Amino acid sequence: MTASRQGVFSFQELISRLQAYWQSRGCIIEQPYDMEVGAGTFHPSTFLRAIGPEPWRAAYVQPSRRPTDGRYGDNPNRLQHYYQFQVILKPSPEDIQDIYLNSLVKLGIDPLKHDIRFVEDDWESPTLGAWGLGWEIWLDGMEISQFTYFQQAGGLDCKPVSGEITYGLERIAMYLQGCESVYDLIWGPGPDRDITYGDIYHQNEVEMSAYNFEFADTQSLFAWFDTCERECRKLIEKELPLPAFEMVLKASHAFNLLDARHAISVTERQRFILRVRDLSRLVAKAYYDKRESLGFPLLKKQ
Amino acid sequence: MTESKDLLIEIGTEELPPRALPGLSGAFADQMQKGIADVGLTYGKIRRFATPRRLAVIIEQLAARQADRTTEKRGPSVSASFTDDGKPTKAAEGFARSCGVTVEELDRIKTDKGEWLGLQVHEPGKYTEELIPAIAVQTLSRLPIPKRMRWGESNIEFVRPVHWVVVLFGKDIVPFELFGIKTGRKTHGHRFHHPGAIKLENPSEYQHKLRDPGYVIADFNERREQIRSQALTVAKACRGTVIIDEDLLDEITGLVEWPVGLSGSFDKKYLSLPPEVLIACMQNQQKYFPLQDADGKLLNHFIAFSNIDSLDPEIVRAGNERVIDPRLNDAAFFWQQDLRRPLAEYQHELEGIVYQKQLGTLAEKTTRLEKLAGHLATLLDQNIEHARRAATLSKCDLVTEMVGEFPALQGIMGRYYAIESNELTDIARSLEEQYFPRFSGDRLPETETGIVLSLSDKLDTLAGIFAIGQVPSGEKDPFGLRRAAIGILRIIIEGKVDLDLVDCLTAAVDGYEHLKVSDDLVNQVFEYMMERLRHYYLEQGISMDIFESVYARRPTRPLDFHDRIQAVRNFITLPEAERLAAANKRISNILKQADDQKIETEIREELLQETAERDLAAALNRVSKIVMPMLNGNEYSNALTELAGLKAPVDAFFDEVMVMCDDEVLKTNRLALLKDLNQLFLRTADISRLQN
Repeated sequence: MTASRQGVFSFQELISRLQAYWQSRGCIIEQPYDMEVGAGTFHPSTFLRAIGPEPWRAAYVQPSRRPTDGRYGDNPNRLQHYYQFQVILKPSPEDIQDIYLNSLVKLGIDPLKHDIRFVEDDWESPTLGAWGLGWEIWLDGMEISQFTYFQQAGGLDCKPVSGEITYGLERIAMYLQGCESVYDLIWGPGPDRDITYGDIYHQNEVEMSAYNFEFADTQSLFAWFDTCERECRKLIEKELPLPAFEMVLKASHAFNLLDARHAISVTERQRFILRVRDLSRLVAKAYYDKRESLGFPLLKKQ
Repeated sequence: MTESKDLLIEIGTEELPPRALPGLSGAFADQMQKGIADVGLTYGKIRRFATPRRLAVIIEQLAARQADRTTEKRGPSVSASFTDDGKPTKAAEGFARSCGVTVEELDRIKTDKGEWLGLQVHEPGKYTEELIPAIAVQTLSRLPIPKRMRWGESNIEFVRPVHWVVVLFGKDIVPFELFGIKTGRKTHGHRFHHPGAIKLENPSEYQHKLRDPGYVIADFNERREQIRSQALTVAKACRGTVIIDEDLLDEITGLVEWPVGLSGSFDKKYLSLPPEVLIACMQNQQKYFPLQDADGKLLNHFIAFSNIDSLDPEIVRAGNERVIDPRLNDAAFFWQQDLRRPLAEYQHELEGIVYQKQLGTLAEKTTRLEKLAGHLATLLDQNIEHARRAATLSKCDLVTEMVGEFPALQGIMGRYYAIESNELTDIARSLEEQYFPRFSGDRLPETETGIVLSLSDKLDTLAGIFAIGQVPSGEKDPFGLRRAAIGILRIIIEGKVDLDLVDCLTAAVDGYEHLKVSDDLVNQVFEYMMERLRHYYLEQGISMDIFESVYARRPTRPLDFHDRIQAVRNFITLPEAERLAAANKRISNILKQADDQKIETEIREELLQETAERDLAAALNRVSKIVMPMLNGNEYSNALTELAGLKAPVDAFFDEVMVMCDDEVLKTNRLALLKDLNQLFLRTADISRLQN
């Protein structure tokens, strides 16, 4: 085991326990998507796999970027780059809540000591044209996960319904390690000393905040957004939903950067969101059609 | 006496939305009751239960069987049933066949309208367990579910996924399926304290078995009151008073099955933030109850409610304390950020915020409000510059970080930021007061500027939304026009602001010139507001006819309207009122018949013949001299009281004088007399509309 030498539950240990747990529950352990995304939901393994009739169970870590949340490394709780642990279970099993709660037990959280609650939180992603119902999970008053039953993705009804669980890894780790600043989190033991989250990411937060807020070139981002939109539509015509989806992700990230640069007025903001949503819908439809033309391969049992 | 038993239905679910829970629970019980009443089953008390994981209802002493019923089927008339030679017609045979009998077996039904073929059908009552499934299904389909969801592979929809269904009638399960789940007798206790099943022998065990061993307080109200009393106890231990927001109390009640209250504290340095901000952090974000000291100052303590009787309560407390700190830290950050610029500098950002698509941005609304507030201040002879400045600043706080995070703090933050920006106190306060009254019975704006700004904001909203034809209908009122209308009326009437509503609305409508509004718009809004005024008075127990008597005169100054209402209310307590109301009704009928317009206005004394008409004319003359100055001074109550003195001569007049006599000259003169009398009453109200 990779417990750190101070005897605390390291960040990497948290990830490996969650992976081991979900693997044991029939999930394939996927890897992060190699593009800038705002949340684990944008990984094709969630957004696209939620579409259509094929079953799917996967878990993965997803590095997530929210440029506007950057604080130049000054705020102990806010990051523009952070990690989510994402689980997608399709169809959502009947005992999904219990399975989730068990994962907390595996992290050493005793539900008879802690106050664990499911607090209503309906989820909607305007850019993905997706929504679902579910909860935030509160641990002693702190939100540690989100839990959603997908009802629609890309404007299509989800049949069957996927259950999505997203763990906020930094928050959980801070709680388990009892630390007040994300930068003090112990990521894992190094050769001479423990390596902290700050050792790895503080400089990144400072520099990326400067880029996001000050130096990102808005002119080229606007142009890039337009390019991605155009490319996306072209790729859909060519019946290539996967690269088309990448264009949605790129456009979405360009939009987030423009937002951080305050380059988009409130009224325009809505318009940009709708443009991305239109693309998401087209991709969702194209993906469905493509899977259908392939005979929904995952429906076939060996 | 038929046998009766208790019925229990419990739907076990995943965590339900707490704010929807009371509504769901109420509808669940009501619809069950309705379903049972509709099939004619008798029942006793109905008890409902609601927790985050269950909706349940117990119907006590429910009859085990419907009463037998005899119904009558009616067929063709006898004359149409038999041919002349007494053979049954096709119609008769058809009817018999549809009843499954022969024509000979049919009965004769005699009424005063004739004789028909018919059949008495004896329907034995159905057993209750046969009826329950359909009633339950119908009930569940009629719940007010805010958003329905599906789960897994099923097409079933409900509020949240369903896990178990208990349906017990007495000792027996009523076997059927709901949500694809077989009904049974096993419920489940608290998610962590008692995860296993609890077997119920009969409905009467439900509540106490859930409590012990289940660790669930199933009754919503009981749980709520337990939370309240725990909060009071914990507060005492912290030497503070707990601030209990009833909506929050309900929400917390909807979030826990086994409430355990605990106190926590936060860094005192945050107490320098506006208390409303701290309260918003605690209540809205964390669902904590804030605490204050004897002087009403916030303490750095809070009360949280957990859903667990923790083996280690310190962990839960420490956890909650850790969460509130970054929240307050964020709030402090927003406060600092927002104060980097004076409030007025936020104004240009309003250009980017759409108020309503057709009505433009908040910047445009601000411009309209400046004009309107200035106009109202002029009418009220108040400081125009203050009113305009308040309007200029009115929406600025909507683009601050703090209001972005806590929308409920709109106006309140405006006040704080205005003070920090060295605006006048009156103006600062008006920024909060513009939203008053926020709900029925809420406080009204108190400052001069606040009154003007609040009226302007609401008038502009009403005029604008009516201008684009989004008139509220039925329950739907997305722009809160009802509240705006009643707000304006309350401010004017209860705040004694002497404004003419038509003038105000005309000025408000002028702000929308570019929309090419209809000429009738002012009138439409006015009528709408008068409808609200009617409700306003009804709620105060002032009957419709009193309202109508005044409304008939169409006073456009609500304060004047109100004075007249008070006068009529006072008038009807007088012994003369009933007769005078009747007399006025008679007079207005006579005048109507006589074609009001053509009646002479001059009474010619020489034409007064009878004693009674001379007396009435004299009395009218005398009273009129007293009453006219009163009416001119809007002393309606005194005027009506004075006019009550005319009862005797009026009565005598109608007893002794024939108005519609053959002598055209005399008739015209008498009508003139009556018209004079009538007009005098009408100066206050049309009392002919009063019912006894």
